Amino acid sequence: MAERMDDAARRALAALEDRLDERTAAYLNACVRCGLCADSCHVFLATGDPETIPAKKAERVARLYRRYHTLLGRIAPRFAGAEDASDEALDALATAAFGRCTVCGRCALHCSVGLDPAAILRFARLMAQAAGRVPKGIQASIDLARATGNNMGIAREDVIETLSWLEEDLRDTTGDASIQLPVDRPGARVYYVLNPRELKFFPLSISAAGMIFHAAGENWTLSSTDFDLTNYGMFAADEAAAGEFSGRIVRRAEELGVEELVVAECGHGYRALRWEAPEWLGRRLPFRVTSFVEVMARYLAEGRLALDPSRNPARVTLHDPCNLVRHGGVIEEQRRVLRAAVADFVEMTPNRLDNYCCGGGGGLLAASEHAAARLEAGRPKADQIRATGAKVVAAPCHNCIDQLGEINRHYKLGVEVKTIAEIVADALTTGGPG
Amino acid sequence: MPHLEIAGRTFLVDEEGFLQQPDVWNDEVAALFAASDGVEELTPEHWAVVRFIRSYWEQSGSAPMVRLLCKETGVNLRTIYKLFPAGPAKGACKYAGLPKPDGCV
Repeated sequence: MAERMDDAARRALAALEDRLDERTAAYLNACVRCGLCADSCHVFLATGDPETIPAKKAERVARLYRRYHTLLGRIAPRFAGAEDASDEALDALATAAFGRCTVCGRCALHCSVGLDPAAILRFARLMAQAAGRVPKGIQASIDLARATGNNMGIAREDVIETLSWLEEDLRDTTGDASIQLPVDRPGARVYYVLNPRELKFFPLSISAAGMIFHAAGENWTLSSTDFDLTNYGMFAADEAAAGEFSGRIVRRAEELGVEELVVAECGHGYRALRWEAPEWLGRRLPFRVTSFVEVMARYLAEGRLALDPSRNPARVTLHDPCNLVRHGGVIEEQRRVLRAAVADFVEMTPNRLDNYCCGGGGGLLAASEHAAARLEAGRPKADQIRATGAKVVAAPCHNCIDQLGEINRHYKLGVEVKTIAEIVADALTTGGPG
Repeated sequence: MPHLEIAGRTFLVDEEGFLQQPDVWNDEVAALFAASDGVEELTPEHWAVVRFIRSYWEQSGSAPMVRLLCKETGVNLRTIYKLFPAGPAKGACKYAGLPKPDGCV
């Protein structure tokens, strides 16, 4: 550490003091150590390491809390199960919160007394962040987004050129010269925001969205400047950064005067804009916020998309991203869409709210120092996928897609990983590739 | 910092296997990194992609947009994903000896 330990400890303890709400304090004191949360955690299932049991990880916060906020902890810490905020304790807290937990929230569903260990782990991230212990890849993505407006540092002209190139490619491949990828269009009803990795490396999901909007006759636009839906501030429990990132998109939506902000397939980006942004910004948003998954389901229900499922004959299974499903409440829409778009859809087990994290959530994908642990933590997901016999995994989250791609190669699953929009675009009989 | 051993040579890499010694990179290193990742044979298209990424990075310090990659190498976008199953970032950029790009990759 570049600075004196006691400064970092002081900031972590100040975060504990300032931000500890009644709910979290109650959670800290109420764990009965039954151990039921152990088997709920994909990290524990993958590693068998007792240190990764959710209650054990949460206990790291509780030990610091008891040391500084209870009488017995102050006078006889060893008898109170309390611990000093030492350099080692803060390092262990950061590793537990950022490297051995994806804040997926599955443990909260399995707690015998109704606690939420993930809420405590989010609090652990807040303390670790205050102590300057955010993994460097997550911090670098925050810094780049602050400096350039997006987390990959993509320049405005590169956005415009990429979209124009994709539009041309779309017209060529579909034979439909009227298809558009509109940018900064005033008067649009829908403002569609992206994950920068789509523009930089994986743009076919943007083309798919363009085909679907076109087929549905939507009046939509992209932004050449405020296009980045990601929010690594949320992962780092850095609310100032989180509010800054969501604030950019909210202001742009207001300038454009759109009715609806549509978030591309990204779990944490949806959660940030749909559920967290009003909290960070301290106000209600004057437009609707939806996931593109919900929009596709709505178009289907309204009869605005004609799909031929026989165009997707291979068996498809579905991954439920934690931030879209467990934390986001978008559960059935993706299933309705897939049943209409593919010939052979199978659920993995468990699924929906009880689904396992891919292992790369919570920003872990950007934290290279935990890469080996992340791949290991993907094993329960790999087992789930293999058991379905599917050839395609649909994943409505770009972060999950990257992790699923890695576990696909690491565990030799032999599947293709796709966004739901790409699968739908392949099944389109109107505006689709002939 | 971890090490990666391929064919009797040892490289300094980050935890995800991205080369941390820009000076040691050459064609042989690119082929070794690709082979260790399951891309055994590098075709002229592979080389066009890897060399363009390398020279772009040496000049600008960042990885090129995939649009520019396609435009400058003449390789079709869909072909890029077939050539590099790990993708442009975790495949092509890694074999070109770049550090890991930021963001969701």
